[in-house]
Amino acid sequence: MNRYLMLGSLLVLVACVPKKVDEQPIIENNQRVPDASATVAAASAQAERDRAAAADAREDIQAEALVDCAPEICDAVVRGELAIGMNEVQVLAATRTTEDAWAIRKAGPSMVMAPGDERVVPSDFVGNVAMVQLADNRVSRYAYTESQGVRMVEDPADATTEGRAAALADQLEREGDEFAARGDLDAALDRYDRVSVLVPTDPMIDYKIAAVLDKALRPYEALIQYQLFLHRLNLETIEAEGAAAAQLAEAIALAQQRIVILERQTR
Amino acid sequence: MKVRRREAAVALALAAVLAVGCSNKHVSRIEPDTVTDLSGAWNDTDSRLVANALIEQSLTDPWLSRYTTAHGGSTPTVIVGSFRNRSSEHIPVNTFVNDLENAYINSGAVTVVASDAERDQIRAERDDQQEFARADTRARLGQELGANYVLQGELSSLEDEESTTYLGATRNEKIVFYQVDARLVDLESNAVVWSGQHKIKKYIERKPFGL
Repeated sequence: MNRYLMLGSLLVLVACVPKKVDEQPIIENNQRVPDASATVAAASAQAERDRAAAADAREDIQAEALVDCAPEICDAVVRGELAIGMNEVQVLAATRTTEDAWAIRKAGPSMVMAPGDERVVPSDFVGNVAMVQLADNRVSRYAYTESQGVRMVEDPADATTEGRAAALADQLEREGDEFAARGDLDAALDRYDRVSVLVPTDPMIDYKIAAVLDKALRPYEALIQYQLFLHRLNLETIEAEGAAAAQLAEAIALAQQRIVILERQTR
Repeated sequence: MKVRRREAAVALALAAVLAVGCSNKHVSRIEPDTVTDLSGAWNDTDSRLVANALIEQSLTDPWLSRYTTAHGGSTPTVIVGSFRNRSSEHIPVNTFVNDLENAYINSGAVTVVASDAERDQIRAERDDQQEFARADTRARLGQELGANYVLQGELSSLEDEESTTYLGATRNEKIVFYQVDARLVDLESNAVVWSGQHKIKKYIERKPFGL
Protein backbone atom coordinates (compact mmCIF):
# COMPACT_ATOMS: atom_id res chain seq x y z
CA MET A 1 0.00 0.00 0.00
CA ASN A 2 2.80 2.34 0.99
CA ARG A 3 4.61 1.53 -2.22
CA TYR A 4 1.58 2.61 -4.31
CA LEU A 5 1.23 5.78 -2.25
CA MET A 6 4.87 6.66 -2.84
CA LEU A 7 4.61 5.94 -6.56
CA GLY A 8 1.49 8.10 -6.80
CA SER A 9 3.17 10.97 -4.94
CA LEU A 10 6.15 10.72 -7.22
CA LEU A 11 3.93 10.87 -10.31
CA VAL A 12 2.11 13.93 -8.93
CA LEU A 13 5.44 15.58 -8.15
CA VAL A 14 6.75 14.90 -11.65
CA ALA A 15 3.55 16.19 -13.21
CA CYS A 16 3.79 19.43 -11.23
CA VAL A 17 7.36 20.13 -12.14
CA PRO A 18 7.56 22.96 -14.74
CA LYS A 19 8.35 21.99 -18.27
CA LYS A 20 12.06 22.03 -18.91
CA VAL A 21 13.43 24.00 -21.83
CA ASP A 22 15.55 21.64 -23.90
CA GLU A 23 16.34 23.88 -26.85
CA GLN A 24 20.01 24.08 -27.76
CA PRO A 25 21.48 27.59 -27.48
CA ILE A 26 22.41 29.14 -30.82
CA ILE A 27 25.11 31.36 -29.38
CA GLU A 28 26.85 31.17 -26.02
CA ASN A 29 29.23 33.10 -23.83
CA ASN A 30 32.73 33.64 -25.22
CA GLN A 31 31.66 32.91 -28.77
CA ARG A 32 32.03 35.64 -31.40
CA VAL A 33 29.15 37.48 -33.03
CA PRO A 34 29.50 37.32 -36.82
CA ASP A 35 30.42 40.53 -38.60
CA ALA A 36 28.26 42.31 -41.18
CA SER A 37 31.23 43.78 -43.02
CA ALA A 38 31.04 41.12 -45.76
CA THR A 39 27.44 42.12 -46.51
CA VAL A 40 28.39 45.79 -46.57
CA ALA A 41 31.37 45.11 -48.84
CA ALA A 42 29.22 43.07 -51.24
CA ALA A 43 26.57 45.81 -51.33
CA SER A 44 29.25 48.41 -51.86
CA ALA A 45 30.77 46.52 -54.80
CA GLN A 46 27.35 45.98 -56.36
CA ALA A 47 26.44 49.66 -55.90
CA GLU A 48 29.69 50.73 -57.51
CA ARG A 49 29.13 48.43 -60.51
CA ASP A 50 25.54 49.66 -60.91
CA ARG A 51 26.59 53.28 -60.59
CA ALA A 52 29.38 52.93 -63.17
CA ALA A 53 27.09 51.17 -65.65
CA ALA A 54 24.31 53.73 -65.14
CA ALA A 55 26.72 56.65 -65.39
CA ASP A 56 28.05 55.33 -68.73
CA ALA A 57 24.55 54.85 -70.08
CA ARG A 58 23.43 58.29 -68.90
CA GLU A 59 26.45 60.02 -70.38
CA ASP A 60 25.72 58.45 -73.76
CA ILE A 61 22.07 59.41 -73.50
CA GLN A 62 22.87 63.02 -72.52
CA ALA A 63 25.36 63.38 -75.36
CA GLU A 64 22.93 61.98 -77.94
CA ALA A 65 20.03 64.02 -76.57
CA LEU A 66 21.86 67.32 -76.91
CA VAL A 67 23.08 66.77 -80.46
CA ASP A 68 21.09 68.84 -82.95
CA CYS A 69 18.23 69.63 -80.58
CA ALA A 70 16.02 72.68 -80.93
CA PRO A 71 16.92 75.39 -78.37
CA GLU A 72 13.72 74.98 -76.32
CA ILE A 73 14.15 71.18 -76.27
CA CYS A 74 17.82 71.51 -75.26
CA ASP A 75 16.82 73.92 -72.47
CA ALA A 76 14.18 71.47 -71.24
CA VAL A 77 16.68 68.58 -71.28
CA VAL A 78 19.20 70.60 -69.29
CA ARG A 79 16.52 71.73 -66.82
CA GLY A 80 15.36 68.12 -66.50
CA GLU A 81 11.81 68.74 -67.72
CA LEU A 82 9.78 66.88 -70.31
CA ALA A 83 8.58 68.85 -73.31
CA ILE A 84 6.35 68.30 -76.31
CA GLY A 85 8.48 67.45 -79.35
CA MET A 86 11.24 65.55 -77.55
CA ASN A 87 12.41 62.24 -78.95
CA GLU A 88 12.84 59.05 -76.93
CA VAL A 89 16.46 59.69 -76.03
CA GLN A 90 15.65 63.23 -74.95
CA VAL A 91 12.89 61.88 -72.70
CA LEU A 92 15.44 59.60 -71.05
CA ALA A 93 17.88 62.51 -70.71
CA ALA A 94 15.26 64.87 -69.27
CA THR A 95 14.13 62.32 -66.70
CA ARG A 96 17.76 61.30 -65.94
CA THR A 97 16.84 57.67 -66.52
CA THR A 98 17.82 54.81 -68.78
CA GLU A 99 15.57 52.44 -70.73
CA ASP A 100 15.51 50.10 -67.73
CA ALA A 101 13.20 52.50 -65.90
CA TRP A 102 10.48 52.28 -68.53
CA ALA A 103 8.08 49.78 -69.98
CA ILE A 104 8.13 50.77 -73.65
CA ARG A 105 5.41 49.64 -76.02
CA LYS A 106 5.54 50.35 -79.72
CA ALA A 107 2.69 50.10 -82.21
CA GLY A 108 3.58 51.36 -85.66
CA PRO A 109 4.67 54.98 -85.52
CA SER A 110 3.39 55.51 -82.00
CA MET A 111 5.10 54.53 -78.80
CA VAL A 112 4.11 54.70 -75.14
CA MET A 113 6.59 54.89 -72.29
CA ALA A 114 5.13 53.94 -68.91
CA PRO A 115 6.99 53.44 -65.61
CA GLY A 116 8.67 50.04 -65.52
CA ASP A 117 7.73 49.62 -61.89
CA GLU A 118 4.62 51.31 -60.51
CA ARG A 119 6.16 51.37 -57.02
CA VAL A 120 9.08 53.58 -58.02
CA VAL A 121 8.12 55.79 -60.93
CA PRO A 122 10.56 57.93 -62.93
CA SER A 123 10.24 61.67 -62.50
CA ASP A 124 11.39 64.85 -64.11
CA PHE A 125 11.94 68.18 -62.34
CA VAL A 126 8.18 68.88 -62.32
CA GLY A 127 6.82 65.64 -60.94
CA ASN A 128 6.32 61.90 -61.18
CA VAL A 129 5.76 60.87 -64.78
CA ALA A 130 2.76 58.63 -65.38
CA MET A 131 3.11 58.20 -69.13
CA VAL A 132 4.83 59.60 -72.22
CA GLN A 133 3.30 59.14 -75.64
CA LEU A 134 5.35 59.57 -78.79
CA ALA A 135 4.20 59.75 -82.38
CA ASP A 136 6.87 59.41 -85.06
CA ASN A 137 9.48 59.50 -82.28
CA ARG A 138 8.28 62.90 -81.01
CA VAL A 139 6.50 63.41 -77.69
CA SER A 140 2.87 64.22 -78.45
CA ARG A 141 1.55 64.11 -74.88
CA TYR A 142 2.69 63.16 -71.43
CA ALA A 143 1.14 62.93 -67.99
CA TYR A 144 2.12 63.52 -64.37
CA THR A 145 0.73 61.84 -61.29
CA GLU A 146 -0.24 64.71 -59.00
CA SER A 147 -2.13 65.14 -55.76
CA GLN A 148 -5.41 65.85 -57.57
CA GLY A 149 -4.99 63.04 -60.09
CA VAL A 150 -3.27 62.58 -63.44
CA ARG A 151 -2.44 65.80 -65.30
CA MET A 152 -2.05 65.64 -69.05
CA VAL A 153 0.25 67.89 -71.02
CA GLU A 154 -0.75 67.99 -74.68
CA ASP A 155 0.42 71.43 -75.61
CA PRO A 156 3.48 73.51 -74.62
CA ALA A 157 1.07 75.95 -72.94
CA ASP A 158 -0.08 73.15 -70.57
CA ALA A 159 3.47 72.88 -69.25
CA THR A 160 3.70 76.54 -68.20
CA THR A 161 2.94 77.69 -64.67
CA GLU A 162 -0.39 79.09 -65.84
CA GLY A 163 -1.24 75.90 -67.70
CA ARG A 164 -0.43 73.81 -64.64
CA ALA A 165 -2.51 76.11 -62.41
CA ALA A 166 -5.43 75.86 -64.82
CA ALA A 167 -5.21 72.05 -64.88
CA LEU A 168 -5.00 71.89 -61.09
CA ALA A 169 -7.91 74.32 -60.75
CA ASP A 170 -9.95 72.18 -63.10
CA GLN A 171 -9.27 69.06 -61.02
CA LEU A 172 -10.04 70.91 -57.77
CA GLU A 173 -13.29 72.31 -59.17
CA ARG A 174 -14.36 68.82 -60.16
CA GLU A 175 -13.62 67.62 -56.63
CA GLY A 176 -15.58 70.58 -55.23
CA ASP A 177 -18.55 69.69 -57.43
CA GLU A 178 -18.44 66.11 -56.16
CA PHE A 179 -18.39 67.26 -52.53
CA ALA A 180 -21.24 69.68 -53.18
CA ALA A 181 -23.27 66.87 -54.78
CA ARG A 182 -22.61 64.68 -51.74
CA GLY A 183 -23.72 67.49 -49.44
CA ASP A 184 -20.31 68.08 -47.85
CA LEU A 185 -20.49 71.85 -48.18
CA ASP A 186 -17.38 72.61 -46.08
CA ALA A 187 -15.18 70.40 -48.25
CA ALA A 188 -16.76 71.82 -51.43
CA LEU A 189 -16.09 75.37 -50.21
CA ASP A 190 -12.50 74.45 -49.39
CA ARG A 191 -11.90 73.18 -52.96
CA TYR A 192 -13.62 76.21 -54.58
CA ASP A 193 -11.57 78.55 -52.37
CA ARG A 194 -8.40 76.86 -53.58
CA VAL A 195 -9.56 77.17 -57.18
CA SER A 196 -10.19 80.90 -56.69
CA VAL A 197 -6.55 81.29 -55.60
CA LEU A 198 -5.24 79.45 -58.67
CA VAL A 199 -7.65 81.10 -61.15
CA PRO A 200 -8.69 84.35 -59.50
CA THR A 201 -10.71 85.72 -62.41
CA ASP A 202 -13.19 82.91 -63.00
CA PRO A 203 -16.70 84.26 -62.22
CA MET A 204 -18.22 80.76 -62.17
CA ILE A 205 -16.10 79.90 -59.14
CA ASP A 206 -17.41 82.99 -57.36
CA TYR A 207 -20.92 81.86 -58.23
CA LYS A 208 -20.26 78.35 -56.89
CA ILE A 209 -18.75 79.75 -53.69
CA ALA A 210 -21.78 82.02 -53.28
CA ALA A 211 -24.17 79.14 -53.86
CA VAL A 212 -22.38 76.89 -51.34
CA LEU A 213 -22.34 79.70 -48.74
CA ASP A 214 -26.02 80.30 -49.43
CA LYS A 215 -26.82 76.62 -48.90
CA ALA A 216 -24.67 76.56 -45.78
CA LEU A 217 -26.87 79.34 -44.35
CA ARG A 218 -24.11 81.95 -44.34
CA PRO A 219 -26.14 84.79 -45.96
CA TYR A 220 -23.76 87.71 -45.41
CA GLU A 221 -20.82 85.96 -47.06
CA ALA A 222 -23.10 84.56 -49.79
CA LEU A 223 -24.37 88.06 -50.55
CA ILE A 224 -20.83 89.39 -50.96
CA GLN A 225 -19.90 86.48 -53.23
CA TYR A 226 -23.00 86.92 -55.42
CA GLN A 227 -22.18 90.60 -55.79
CA LEU A 228 -18.57 89.75 -56.56
CA PHE A 229 -19.76 87.30 -59.20
CA LEU A 230 -21.92 89.93 -60.92
CA HIS A 231 -19.17 92.52 -60.66
CA ARG A 232 -16.60 90.18 -62.17
CA LEU A 233 -19.08 89.20 -64.84
CA ASN A 234 -19.54 92.84 -65.75
CA LEU A 235 -15.81 93.12 -66.17
CA GLU A 236 -15.81 90.02 -68.28
CA THR A 237 -18.66 91.17 -70.45
CA ILE A 238 -16.77 94.35 -71.13
CA GLU A 239 -13.87 92.22 -72.29
CA ALA A 240 -15.86 89.70 -74.28
CA GLU A 241 -19.36 90.93 -74.82
CA GLY A 242 -22.01 88.37 -75.58
CA ALA A 243 -20.52 84.91 -75.41
CA ALA A 244 -19.71 84.77 -71.72
CA ALA A 245 -22.94 86.50 -70.74
CA ALA A 246 -24.96 84.13 -72.89
CA GLN A 247 -23.36 81.09 -71.31
CA LEU A 248 -23.87 82.45 -67.82
CA ALA A 249 -27.34 83.89 -68.32
CA GLU A 250 -28.97 81.44 -65.97
CA ALA A 251 -26.36 81.95 -63.29
CA ILE A 252 -26.78 85.75 -63.58
CA ALA A 253 -30.52 85.51 -63.17
CA LEU A 254 -30.18 83.21 -60.16
CA ALA A 255 -27.54 85.39 -58.54
CA GLN A 256 -29.65 88.53 -58.92
CA GLN A 257 -32.63 86.69 -57.50
CA ARG A 258 -30.66 85.47 -54.49
CA ILE A 259 -29.23 88.95 -53.86
CA VAL A 260 -32.73 90.37 -53.59
CA ILE A 261 -33.79 87.60 -51.19
CA LEU A 262 -30.65 87.74 -49.08
CA GLU A 263 -30.73 91.52 -48.84
CA ARG A 264 -34.25 91.28 -47.50
CA GLN A 265 -33.27 88.56 -45.05
CA THR A 266 -30.22 90.33 -43.74
CA ARG A 267 -31.90 93.69 -43.26
CA MET B 1 51.35 33.70 26.11
CA LYS B 2 50.66 37.41 25.82
CA VAL B 3 53.24 37.76 23.04
CA ARG B 4 51.74 34.87 21.12
CA ARG B 5 48.30 36.45 21.32
CA ARG B 6 49.67 39.75 19.99
CA GLU B 7 51.41 37.96 17.11
CA ALA B 8 48.19 36.23 16.25
CA ALA B 9 46.32 39.55 16.22
CA VAL B 10 48.95 41.15 13.96
CA ALA B 11 48.85 38.16 11.61
CA LEU B 12 45.06 38.37 11.48
CA ALA B 13 45.14 42.10 10.72
CA LEU B 14 47.74 41.51 8.00
CA ALA B 15 45.66 38.77 6.50
CA ALA B 16 42.63 41.06 6.48
CA VAL B 17 44.59 43.85 4.75
CA LEU B 18 45.89 41.37 2.16
CA ALA B 19 42.41 40.01 1.58
CA VAL B 20 41.08 43.49 0.94
CA GLY B 21 44.11 44.41 -1.18
CA CYS B 22 43.72 41.34 -3.37
CA SER B 23 39.98 41.78 -3.62
CA ASN B 24 37.84 40.89 -6.55
CA LYS B 25 37.98 43.86 -8.95
CA HIS B 26 39.47 42.84 -12.26
CA VAL B 27 39.16 44.85 -15.44
CA SER B 28 40.27 43.61 -18.83
CA ARG B 29 39.72 44.76 -22.39
CA ILE B 30 38.05 42.10 -24.48
CA GLU B 31 37.03 41.93 -28.13
CA PRO B 32 33.81 43.88 -28.72
CA ASP B 33 32.32 40.99 -30.70
CA THR B 34 32.72 38.53 -27.83
CA VAL B 35 29.48 37.25 -26.38
CA THR B 36 29.40 38.20 -22.71
CA ASP B 37 26.07 37.52 -21.07
CA LEU B 38 25.96 38.42 -17.38
CA SER B 39 22.47 39.24 -16.18
CA GLY B 40 20.48 38.16 -19.22
CA ALA B 41 19.30 41.69 -19.93
CA TRP B 42 19.65 43.32 -23.38
CA ASN B 43 23.32 43.82 -24.14
CA ASP B 44 25.87 44.53 -26.86
CA THR B 45 25.50 41.05 -28.35
CA ASP B 46 21.79 41.56 -28.90
CA SER B 47 22.42 44.95 -30.44
CA ARG B 48 25.03 43.48 -32.77
CA LEU B 49 22.80 40.57 -33.79
CA VAL B 50 19.97 42.96 -34.58
CA ALA B 51 22.26 45.29 -36.52
CA ASN B 52 23.71 42.41 -38.55
CA ALA B 53 20.29 41.03 -39.40
CA LEU B 54 18.87 44.41 -40.43
CA ILE B 55 21.94 45.27 -42.50
CA GLU B 56 21.75 41.92 -44.30
CA GLN B 57 18.01 42.21 -44.94
CA SER B 58 18.12 45.85 -45.95
CA LEU B 59 21.09 45.79 -48.30
CA THR B 60 20.07 42.62 -50.12
CA ASP B 61 16.40 43.49 -50.56
CA PRO B 62 15.20 44.50 -54.06
CA TRP B 63 13.96 47.91 -52.86
CA LEU B 64 17.44 49.27 -53.58
CA SER B 65 17.71 47.98 -57.14
CA ARG B 66 14.12 49.06 -57.84
CA TYR B 67 15.00 52.62 -56.91
CA THR B 68 18.29 52.76 -58.80
CA THR B 69 16.69 51.26 -61.90
CA ALA B 70 13.89 53.83 -61.90
CA HIS B 71 16.28 56.71 -61.30
CA GLY B 72 19.07 56.03 -63.76
CA GLY B 73 21.47 54.59 -61.19
CA SER B 74 20.99 57.28 -58.53
CA THR B 75 21.06 56.02 -54.98
CA PRO B 76 18.06 56.53 -52.68
CA THR B 77 18.35 59.10 -49.91
CA VAL B 78 17.32 57.95 -46.46
CA ILE B 79 16.78 59.83 -43.24
CA VAL B 80 16.84 58.00 -39.94
CA GLY B 81 13.60 58.72 -38.13
CA SER B 82 12.37 57.51 -34.79
CA PHE B 83 13.13 54.09 -33.35
CA ARG B 84 10.93 53.47 -30.34
CA ASN B 85 11.77 51.26 -27.44
CA ARG B 86 8.51 49.61 -26.37
CA SER B 87 10.17 47.00 -24.20
CA SER B 88 10.17 46.90 -20.42
CA GLU B 89 13.93 47.54 -20.29
CA HIS B 90 15.92 50.67 -20.81
CA ILE B 91 17.51 49.95 -24.17
CA PRO B 92 19.59 52.48 -26.09
CA VAL B 93 18.35 51.70 -29.61
CA ASN B 94 20.95 54.03 -31.15
CA THR B 95 23.61 51.31 -31.01
CA PHE B 96 22.05 49.15 -33.71
CA VAL B 97 20.41 52.05 -35.56
CA ASN B 98 23.84 53.68 -35.90
CA ASP B 99 25.30 50.37 -37.10
CA LEU B 100 22.63 50.26 -39.80
CA GLU B 101 23.26 53.89 -40.72
CA ASN B 102 27.02 53.24 -40.94
CA ALA B 103 26.41 50.24 -43.18
CA TYR B 104 24.27 52.37 -45.50
CA ILE B 105 26.94 55.06 -45.70
CA ASN B 106 29.88 52.71 -46.08
CA SER B 107 28.20 50.57 -48.72
CA GLY B 108 27.63 53.64 -50.89
CA ALA B 109 24.34 52.05 -51.93
CA VAL B 110 22.28 54.52 -49.90
CA THR B 111 22.76 58.22 -49.25
CA VAL B 112 21.99 59.14 -45.65
CA VAL B 113 21.02 62.67 -44.66
CA ALA B 114 21.34 64.10 -41.18
CA SER B 115 18.48 63.53 -38.79
CA ASP B 116 16.33 66.40 -37.50
CA ALA B 117 18.39 66.99 -34.36
CA GLU B 118 21.65 67.05 -36.33
CA ARG B 119 20.13 69.29 -38.99
CA ASP B 120 19.27 72.01 -36.47
CA GLN B 121 22.89 72.24 -35.41
CA ILE B 122 24.16 72.27 -38.99
CA ARG B 123 21.65 74.92 -40.05
CA ALA B 124 22.66 77.12 -37.14
CA GLU B 125 26.28 76.81 -38.20
CA ARG B 126 25.39 77.60 -41.83
CA ASP B 127 23.38 80.64 -40.78
CA ASP B 128 26.35 81.72 -38.73
CA GLN B 129 28.60 81.46 -41.76
CA GLN B 130 26.36 83.78 -43.80
CA GLU B 131 27.23 86.55 -41.37
CA PHE B 132 30.77 85.79 -40.29
CA ALA B 133 32.50 83.66 -42.92
CA ARG B 134 34.42 84.96 -45.94
CA ALA B 135 32.13 85.09 -48.99
CA ASP B 136 34.04 82.50 -51.03
CA THR B 137 34.06 80.00 -48.18
CA ARG B 138 30.42 80.24 -47.14
CA ALA B 139 28.24 77.14 -47.31
CA ARG B 140 25.41 78.03 -49.66
CA LEU B 141 21.82 77.99 -48.55
CA GLY B 142 19.10 75.88 -50.12
CA GLN B 143 21.40 73.03 -51.14
CA GLU B 144 20.14 70.39 -48.73
CA LEU B 145 19.27 66.95 -50.05
CA GLY B 146 15.66 65.90 -49.62
CA ALA B 147 15.19 62.36 -48.39
CA ASN B 148 13.20 59.81 -50.37
CA TYR B 149 12.65 57.44 -47.47
CA VAL B 150 12.44 57.54 -43.68
CA LEU B 151 13.82 54.69 -41.62
CA GLN B 152 11.57 53.96 -38.67
CA GLY B 153 11.17 51.14 -36.25
CA GLU B 154 10.50 49.84 -32.83
CA LEU B 155 11.75 47.32 -30.32
CA SER B 156 9.27 45.30 -28.30
CA SER B 157 9.74 42.62 -25.69
CA LEU B 158 7.76 39.90 -23.96
CA GLU B 159 8.72 38.19 -20.72
CA ASP B 160 7.69 35.03 -18.98
CA GLU B 161 9.18 33.83 -15.71
CA GLU B 162 8.67 31.27 -13.01
CA SER B 163 10.28 30.43 -9.67
CA THR B 164 10.16 26.97 -8.13
CA THR B 165 11.23 26.31 -4.56
CA TYR B 166 12.24 22.84 -3.53
CA LEU B 167 13.68 22.04 -0.11
CA GLY B 168 14.22 25.76 0.54
CA ALA B 169 16.17 26.31 -2.67
CA THR B 170 14.66 28.51 -5.38
CA ARG B 171 15.14 27.94 -9.05
CA ASN B 172 14.30 30.90 -11.35
CA GLU B 173 13.61 30.57 -15.01
CA LYS B 174 12.87 33.42 -17.37
CA ILE B 175 12.17 33.77 -21.04
CA VAL B 176 12.71 37.14 -22.70
CA PHE B 177 11.66 37.69 -26.26
CA TYR B 178 12.79 40.75 -28.19
CA GLN B 179 11.42 41.76 -31.56
CA VAL B 180 12.95 44.56 -33.57
CA ASP B 181 11.02 45.85 -36.56
CA ALA B 182 12.45 48.34 -39.01
CA ARG B 183 10.81 49.82 -42.07
CA LEU B 184 11.59 52.25 -44.82
CA VAL B 185 8.68 54.49 -45.66
CA ASP B 186 8.38 56.46 -48.89
CA LEU B 187 8.14 60.14 -47.94
CA GLU B 188 5.77 60.96 -50.81
CA SER B 189 3.41 58.04 -50.81
CA ASN B 190 3.78 56.60 -47.28
CA ALA B 191 4.34 53.22 -48.93
CA VAL B 192 6.52 50.87 -46.90
CA VAL B 193 9.19 49.87 -49.40
CA TRP B 194 11.17 47.61 -47.10
CA SER B 195 10.43 45.97 -43.80
CA GLY B 196 13.00 44.10 -41.74
CA GLN B 197 12.64 42.14 -38.57
CA HIS B 198 14.84 40.32 -36.11
CA LYS B 199 13.77 38.25 -33.13
CA ILE B 200 15.83 37.17 -30.15
CA LYS B 201 14.64 34.69 -27.56
CA LYS B 202 16.62 34.21 -24.37
CA TYR B 203 16.29 31.54 -21.74
CA ILE B 204 17.69 32.66 -18.41
CA GLU B 205 18.00 30.10 -15.65
CA ARG B 206 19.23 30.67 -12.10
CA LYS B 207 19.84 27.42 -10.29
CA PRO B 208 20.18 27.25 -6.51
CA PHE B 209 23.71 26.74 -5.18
CA GLY B 210 25.13 26.91 -8.69
CA LEU B 211 23.75 23.46 -9.49
